[in-house]
Amino acid sequence: MSNNAAPDSWEEDELTDSSAADLQQKLIKLNVNAVEFIPSFTSFSSKSDDVDGGPEDETTGGGDKKTTNVDGIGDPLAGDTGGGASAAVLDSWEDGASSTPEDGTAKPIIEIDNDIDIDIDVDCDEEKPKPIAKKAIEESEPKPKKEHINIVIIGHVDAGKSTIGGQIMALTGMVDKRTLDKYEKEAKERSRESWYLSWALDTNQEEREKGKTVEVGRAYFETERKHFTILDAPGHKSFVPNMIGGTAQADLAVLVISARKGEFETGFDRGGQTREHAMLAKTAGVKHMLVLINKMDDSTVLWSKARYEECRDKILPYLKKLGFNVAKDLTFMPVSGQTGLGLKDQVEESICPWYRGPAFIPFIDNLPLLNRSSDGPFIMPVVEKYKDMGTVLMGKVESGEARKTQTLVLMPNRTTVIVDQLWSDDEEVTSVGPGENIKVKLKGVEEEDVSPGFILCDPINPVKTCRIFDGQVVILEHKSIICAGYSAVMHIHCVAEVVEVKALICLVDRKTGLKSNMRPRFVKQDQVVIMRLECSGVVCLEEFKLFPQMGRFTLRDEGKTIAIGKVLKIIE
Amino acid sequence: MTTNGEETTSDRNVEIWKIKKLIKSLEMARGNGTSMISLIIPPKDQISRVSKMLADEYGTASNIKSRVNRLSVLGAITSVQQRLKLYTKVPPNGLVVYCGTIVTEEGKEKKVNIDFEPFKPINTSLYLCDNKFHTEALTALLADDNKFGFIVMDGNGALFGTLQGNTREVLHKFTVDLPKKHGRGGQSALRFARLRMEKRHNYVRKVAEVATQLFITNDKPNAAGLILAGSADFKTELSQSDMFDPRLQAKIIKLVDVSYGGENGFNQAIELAAESLQNVKFIQEKKLIGRYFDEISQDTGKYCFGVEDTLKALELGSVETLICWENLDIQRYVLKNHTTAEEKILHLTPEQEKDKSHFTEKDTGVELELVECQPLLEWLANNYKIFGATLEIITDKSQEGSQFVRGFGGIGGLLRYKVDFQSMQCDDLDPNELYDIDDY
Repeated sequence: MSNNAAPDSWEEDELTDSSAADLQQKLIKLNVNAVEFIPSFTSFSSKSDDVDGGPEDETTGGGDKKTTNVDGIGDPLAGDTGGGASAAVLDSWEDGASSTPEDGTAKPIIEIDNDIDIDIDVDCDEEKPKPIAKKAIEESEPKPKKEHINIVIIGHVDAGKSTIGGQIMALTGMVDKRTLDKYEKEAKERSRESWYLSWALDTNQEEREKGKTVEVGRAYFETERKHFTILDAPGHKSFVPNMIGGTAQADLAVLVISARKGEFETGFDRGGQTREHAMLAKTAGVKHMLVLINKMDDSTVLWSKARYEECRDKILPYLKKLGFNVAKDLTFMPVSGQTGLGLKDQVEESICPWYRGPAFIPFIDNLPLLNRSSDGPFIMPVVEKYKDMGTVLMGKVESGEARKTQTLVLMPNRTTVIVDQLWSDDEEVTSVGPGENIKVKLKGVEEEDVSPGFILCDPINPVKTCRIFDGQVVILEHKSIICAGYSAVMHIHCVAEVVEVKALICLVDRKTGLKSNMRPRFVKQDQVVIMRLECSGVVCLEEFKLFPQMGRFTLRDEGKTIAIGKVLKIIE
Repeated sequence: MTTNGEETTSDRNVEIWKIKKLIKSLEMARGNGTSMISLIIPPKDQISRVSKMLADEYGTASNIKSRVNRLSVLGAITSVQQRLKLYTKVPPNGLVVYCGTIVTEEGKEKKVNIDFEPFKPINTSLYLCDNKFHTEALTALLADDNKFGFIVMDGNGALFGTLQGNTREVLHKFTVDLPKKHGRGGQSALRFARLRMEKRHNYVRKVAEVATQLFITNDKPNAAGLILAGSADFKTELSQSDMFDPRLQAKIIKLVDVSYGGENGFNQAIELAAESLQNVKFIQEKKLIGRYFDEISQDTGKYCFGVEDTLKALELGSVETLICWENLDIQRYVLKNHTTAEEKILHLTPEQEKDKSHFTEKDTGVELELVECQPLLEWLANNYKIFGATLEIITDKSQEGSQFVRGFGGIGGLLRYKVDFQSMQCDDLDPNELYDIDDY
């Protein structure tokens, strides 16, 4: 295959607008690592280099989805109380967003063409037999990359998050029978039989002993068309910070609700984590939420339609208020994590005659493709790091792509590093694209000099770092008032940092979005305010309008989520 | 500074604040040579005994070779003797005398004679001639409240702090880097798990060791109680671990669950342990300002803030509790126009003081005569009773305190009834900083 073959066919593709499958077929032939060719499902008007959405997108995505701002700028962030008012916020928030220029998605664009050229070069090299046999084998079997989707499983403590996660792994064959049997035996010994599934994700000793997830568990599975990474969030109140870190990497949230009598109610009450998690997921930028009503097989439920509907109807208004579109962004499903019913295959009619929708795994497999533009600078927030013959960092690629031997910069310290090895969910690869959950081994930095929350990014367009910034904040829940001098913990992408309110700049009317001229002295619950915040250390962030994933934050204090907000302006 | 019989707690707090201020000024003072005398007489001692001792000292001091030093020491001893003559017997709480010549900022010499009875019995006997005043005994008097130790530990690090009276102090903190769970390994998965457990174990050991270092002095715990806070199981692990000193183990009064480590966790731990620490001033302070904030958030109108409004409310007699930041740096000026004999009172921040226009009459350009100048807080401390208010002096160490100081200027009050203030001053918030609202 010659060097110019790829661009040729590529153009042809654009002309004929062939189906995604076709495209992939071609890509296979082309031996092109297909990351950058993943059909974007929103037509990216400003960027012609991306393949326009195939027909598949049109059918599934629907026209209206196309209009949603590509970067999800219009993310409505709404309060959890006062229905009308929150709806108004939603509006105002979106107003604010729509005022940003359309191509204000404008991530600083780097020379994409260059990128592609290089890529093709690499591919061509691969064609030639390489001296290193291992690599040659690896690369001579090119497979089209499946779309990567990160799923976070959230919900109240003991709703069955880890069990569902484990069950999915078992059903998709990611955990072999022998291991499962071993778990089951061990669990039985501790007379904790029902926990064995969750042990696939709860790998720590403490987690297994208590049956409580502490840190975000990570696993992956594949379906015919997609590659999923499961992030199993802890449900316990004390570990919400961990959960936020996991949610920040997710594209899709699965909210698990226990239908068992009493459990649903405690989870949904004020102080229960069902609400908080749902809200945090929305803030983190999750667009689609699946609500699994779990434990349908419980003796207090017995696949009762009435109970299912009760749970659904109770949670629905709240999710609506958060800004989820009921028709597009929300799906409800009855399942049983313990028995695995409703996860892989449809529940038998004899058990559940009233729900004939698709089961969980087929459903997520058929979800429309997410838009991911592989152009833009490479950005990956570091979630974890460890030492293993070098410094290995883990995280989700938020934008751009990286290849082996590429030079990157680790912010905020501006350490120049070279990519030594890349893994996408435990499989060694040569390049990674946006949305993938990767591990990367770096040269040029010691493990001790990295901490979670650092950003691995492109040397030409490094992310901004700052201590003081202005943000628009919605106060969700705070018993007293907030004024200058208030401090709380801010979660932004994967970092948690103490911030102090330096000054309140102006109030924003929830209904009209108008900004007051008077400087407020204090703000109360349910108000929207623009404030200046000072972090205790240097934090990497970006303005919301430039890069929403790096510009959303949550303020928490005393175990509660106080406020959510977005970065408006970086001061210093 | 005498004490009267019926002393309420808030009076006592004002008294404490006054002593604190005094200590601060005494600590700053430096003299020439060893001519500064600190004398503390415990209760039930005799004045005559001290007088005799001073007379002996006078004799010894007259042999000092250096003339300057001799003169100043003798001068100081004489003034102490004269001060003592004012007392027929030692007051019930003992007596504290400081005498000496200090060098002021401008390099001038100033003679200082201070004698007072402390607000509670002082159990020290002290006579020292040094180049500075010795205030340790007084500081100890203030710090006599129960001290509570805090250990906040989570997966990222540990923090050791104390809470005593209204001071919150971080003694030590360090961070750790514990391996998280990552589904790596395969064959060595067990090994990784073992390494992980070992690291965690070492971390608990380190915390236990540092705790012993910090909270045990002279083989005795130096805190009245210990509160362990943390997310996950570290705190329970620590409390049950046999690496943790049993003397400290006995002092644990509470285990609290906090979601963050570090300072934020410390604050939350204090909040959560509030019930066990009812009598600590810090908690009372938090509650007071919390009540003030409640008034604001409920918009009852029964609150005031800012110098102008608060003084107005004071004059109306509507202030029930006056809240003031201990380091309020507003000066109260009484100025007199010598042509019209009119008196004018001004309250100026240090920045405003630099602006000389405040000291001249605007219309006539006549320079005003300075009658009196003192910190506003001192004036309030001396006069709050006239207005029928109680004075609470607070710190900015707590979350609420910090908000009160930064957001409300550090002065305000809870009112008995609603007062309508015409001038809601909003522009006095750091006017130098302008924000361009259109930016957003």
